[in-house]
Amino acid sequence: MAEKAGLDMSTNETGVDPEEIRKVQVLTPRLQKLKREWEEAEPQVYVDDTLLFTESWRETEGLPLDIRWAKALEKRLLECPVVIRDGEIVVGSLTKFIRGNGTLCAMKPREILEMCEKGKFARKTSDTESTKITPEDLAALRADAEYWIEHIPQVSTVNAALEYDMGPGVFDLLFDTGCVFEGRGVRYKMDRGLFQNYSAYGGGVAQVSARCIEVGLNHVIDLCRKERERMMLEGDERSHGSAQFLRKYWLLEACILSCRAFIRYAERHAWLARSEAAKETRGWRKAELLRIAEACERCPAEPPRDFFEAVQCVRLYHLVCWKESSDRPEVPIGRLDQILNPYYVKDKAEGKITPQGAAELLGALWLKIRECENLVTIPRSQRAAPGSLLPNITLCGVDAEGRDLTNEVSWLVLEAMAQVKLSEPAIYIRYNPNMDPRFLLHALRCNVEFGGGNPAFLNDALGTQRYLDRGVPITDACDWNSSGCLGYHLDCMEHLGGGHNINQIKLLELALNDGFDPRTQKQLGPKTGDPKTFASFDDVMGAYLRQLEYFVPVLHRIKVLTLCTEVADGPMSGLRCAMQFEDSIREGLTPKEGGARYPEGRTSWLGSRGMVDIADSLAAIKKLVFDEKKVTMGELLEACARNWEGHDALHQMCLNAPKYGNDDEYVDSLYDRLSTEVPEIMQRWIDPITGKKPILFIGAAAGHVAIGKAVGALPNGRRAGTPVNDAACSVMPGMDVNGPTAAINSATNGPYAREFCGYAMNMKFSKSVLNTEEKLEKLSWLVKAFMKRGGWHIQFNIHSREELLDAQKHPAEHRNLLVRVGGYSAYFIDLPPELQNEIVERSMHDRL
Amino acid sequence: MNAVEGMVFNIQRYSIDDGPGVRTTVFLKGCPLSCLWCSNPESLDPLPEVTWRYTSCRRCGTCVAACPEGAIALTDDGIRIDRIRCSRCGSCVAACLPGALALSGRKMTVDEVWSVVRKDRDYYEVSGGGVTCSGGEVLAQPEFVAALFRRCRAEGIHTCADTSGWGSPEAMETVLGECDLVYFDLKHMNPAEHLRLCGRSNEPILRNLGLTVARGVPLVVRLPLVPGCNDTAENLAATGAAVARLAAGAEVHLLPYHHYGESKYRMLGREYPLPEVESPAPEALERAKAIIESYGLKCDIKK
Repeated sequence: MAEKAGLDMSTNETGVDPEEIRKVQVLTPRLQKLKREWEEAEPQVYVDDTLLFTESWRETEGLPLDIRWAKALEKRLLECPVVIRDGEIVVGSLTKFIRGNGTLCAMKPREILEMCEKGKFARKTSDTESTKITPEDLAALRADAEYWIEHIPQVSTVNAALEYDMGPGVFDLLFDTGCVFEGRGVRYKMDRGLFQNYSAYGGGVAQVSARCIEVGLNHVIDLCRKERERMMLEGDERSHGSAQFLRKYWLLEACILSCRAFIRYAERHAWLARSEAAKETRGWRKAELLRIAEACERCPAEPPRDFFEAVQCVRLYHLVCWKESSDRPEVPIGRLDQILNPYYVKDKAEGKITPQGAAELLGALWLKIRECENLVTIPRSQRAAPGSLLPNITLCGVDAEGRDLTNEVSWLVLEAMAQVKLSEPAIYIRYNPNMDPRFLLHALRCNVEFGGGNPAFLNDALGTQRYLDRGVPITDACDWNSSGCLGYHLDCMEHLGGGHNINQIKLLELALNDGFDPRTQKQLGPKTGDPKTFASFDDVMGAYLRQLEYFVPVLHRIKVLTLCTEVADGPMSGLRCAMQFEDSIREGLTPKEGGARYPEGRTSWLGSRGMVDIADSLAAIKKLVFDEKKVTMGELLEACARNWEGHDALHQMCLNAPKYGNDDEYVDSLYDRLSTEVPEIMQRWIDPITGKKPILFIGAAAGHVAIGKAVGALPNGRRAGTPVNDAACSVMPGMDVNGPTAAINSATNGPYAREFCGYAMNMKFSKSVLNTEEKLEKLSWLVKAFMKRGGWHIQFNIHSREELLDAQKHPAEHRNLLVRVGGYSAYFIDLPPELQNEIVERSMHDRL
Repeated sequence: MNAVEGMVFNIQRYSIDDGPGVRTTVFLKGCPLSCLWCSNPESLDPLPEVTWRYTSCRRCGTCVAACPEGAIALTDDGIRIDRIRCSRCGSCVAACLPGALALSGRKMTVDEVWSVVRKDRDYYEVSGGGVTCSGGEVLAQPEFVAALFRRCRAEGIHTCADTSGWGSPEAMETVLGECDLVYFDLKHMNPAEHLRLCGRSNEPILRNLGLTVARGVPLVVRLPLVPGCNDTAENLAATGAAVARLAAGAEVHLLPYHHYGESKYRMLGREYPLPEVESPAPEALERAKAIIESYGLKCDIKK
């Protein structure tokens, strides 16, 4: 992009000493102690915030909605317990417990009541362990839930609107039983309480606002006050009539209330730190507490003065945004290295900080970020991004002038991630080809040490280009960060949220059944012909595409009704308005209502899932039915209908048919055709809200499990009800047998990621492939070539012992697991059992 | 159009140990040597061979019925192929549904190989990689290797020949004329021992090593280190001395013996020749490295 703009991209010289970075000890003894305490603590239900929320709601009866939300936040921030634990150097805890789980009964009272009755409280990251609760808290929580059951609407406004518009039962049929569409956990039980359809994703996310940190909230308050004075004195040209004028008036007040409450919440931490300091006998700890107090007195009201204050400030932003979120909080932290580096550079020049000191602070920040949890009632299999809290951190990136922004904090953040070894936050690196190659190696080394596919790499130029394509100027287009499970958005300029997804494999199943759904026994799609009468492969492809053409406008309608109904019923306005103050204040609307500078991502997002399964299925049909005529369409469909039972030989033939991921022209040409025609159809209709072509989303963190359940066996050999491929361009498990370059080529033989975000390539490697510095460099070549070929998102999993053991038990599912030593390589499953055992053992002891 | 044909048993993409950068390694079938430790037993015979992956075999017997020669029998733990009767026609492979049987080795033209090699150009480019011909023995198919390399070099792709060195000087010249790097194996310095371990004398090898140096093609000398076979201090010293004399300045790679090829012997219905030998201990490797280095050579242990 920068090249396009005629600007010079020069290789970044970060001047970083990798040895110095590698030497830091992130988990100092006190952080080790805090981490251990967290790991050993039993999860506990935390009720104070929900009780405060309810109390406030009762107190504000009759007031404008924006004010009620702001007052509820204010009461929670001013009256919730504030804690500083011994040894903490970054403060701000969600709950008074070491491992507490927050909730708001107003959000889902029936579900909370059910939990109370069952005595089992599940968390976002796990529902295998129960969470304990004191008898008093249980009684209070139960009473709170019962209060809300009486005071919330008895029906979901979103469902009511959709059923009215589409006819009763249609929505249920298309989503829950037929599963032509896949949305959010929202559809699981209609208990959205006061928040209605307002999950974090649907309602949108308040992210840690780099701009707010930079200017300080006093400045935002001042802007709101001035705007209110101005509109009273001069009138407001942006409001059309009394309703909008009034809305803006109250929204600005809500914004001021929320910012003030946030500032006072920080001051409560300062006050606590000072009183702890007064009691403290250890001189060094006393000094630390006073330092914390100074930081919390200063921020977020005013901009931080140094690295210490900036880290503390980021923590409180993350925490307050989290509190303000609902069922599925996901608060992106944004471009952490860009936020923190100016302070780091200044402190370092003044001799105030060392890499070691900064690393410890980042480690402390890590522990606090991971601490947050919420109760979740949706079963794990139906959650989006199960096991994840999604506090994404984005690093690096190229600016509008084409400069690579990688800095020393980028290095330190990765080191912190690798050494702290907590499942989150997830790190995303905005890769550009001019990055310091040593940084890339550092990132990959951290990946191997971490072991779990962290960090992921995103294509910087492509991320910016998609926004440029939609008319966003380069100065803003280059300021994007990752969010959600596979998404990204413009930092504080765009409303972040998800959308609905088309279950592509269901459409193929419909096409193979003349629009009839075998599962619900209903004619869900249009009649596109009896496949047994199809004379050529093109008829099959045509039938599928016509199913898609039929359902895309339906999806648009559902999406618009869902989003607009959410807007009408949405809370949390003041804080969100503050986070995007540069635009929201002037507009007098929250970001998702139109107060954001760019509505592109949020309102235009259309999702597509299962394209690899379709390409593989079409390849099997083309080869076996039409090219080689080994089987008739009738026989193939009969075998699918019977889930391959009694059709072993045919099943094997289908499994052996060409599979995407092997750089095989036969199937890749079909994938190529789908990758051109599917986006064309999905973008044929403009997004009704923005009037622009939708940004498309592909892939899934967990949705592939949900959509797979509703679809029968397919000609690619997949069995009924099993998950479809895990992401857009990952290969059917065990089916990529030509190695990593072939898998990458299949995914990048065309500009497939140009219109699709979320286009993630998951690659797995065994540890023995990566046991030397030299081999890490070899891995870096894959990243470089992937990006050069226009890939969007790539991540590497390093095999665990468990996976290797599973490969021994179920070799067929691990056909692609490579073990390489010296000039010889073999697939793991080909090795004799004794050698497999040896490798299983060896991989456990591997250290780079 | 290039119709020169070679017998190829595997084209392995993303090879990261067969030369600089990301490489595509073209494994040729047929080798004049028969080293006891060979980890690619399917590379020895110059004709296609049926391989049997026992982990995938369902013992269904379809192949038994499909074989026109009656060369396959069902046994308690799978199948047995009578390799003398087998006409290598591939009927069993076509019949095998789980894909447990495969035909290793087929004639490929330079164009066919190139169509695979060219797919990974982006990877060669970002990594300084290219194409390696390995074996089997490249000197057994010099025209094919030279034609393939010529094609690669015309497109700016780096070429490397991985050879045992056993072949005619003419073959060596033909390959040297088209390659950017030679990986040259030295297995034993004593001609009699070489004959015993590898089935041939080492004289042509040493002559070709001299030729390689004389032609000025960059060279890496590679020593498979096989305990009890070629790891004596005496042999290592002789090797170091020979390399220092013939190819001063060449880098030496020590390749510790491993028995990962063992399962492939089973796939071919053969006995593994070195069942008792263990991989060399780290100290033994370091000792070997020190000996080589004492001749002023740069030496790396490859794992």
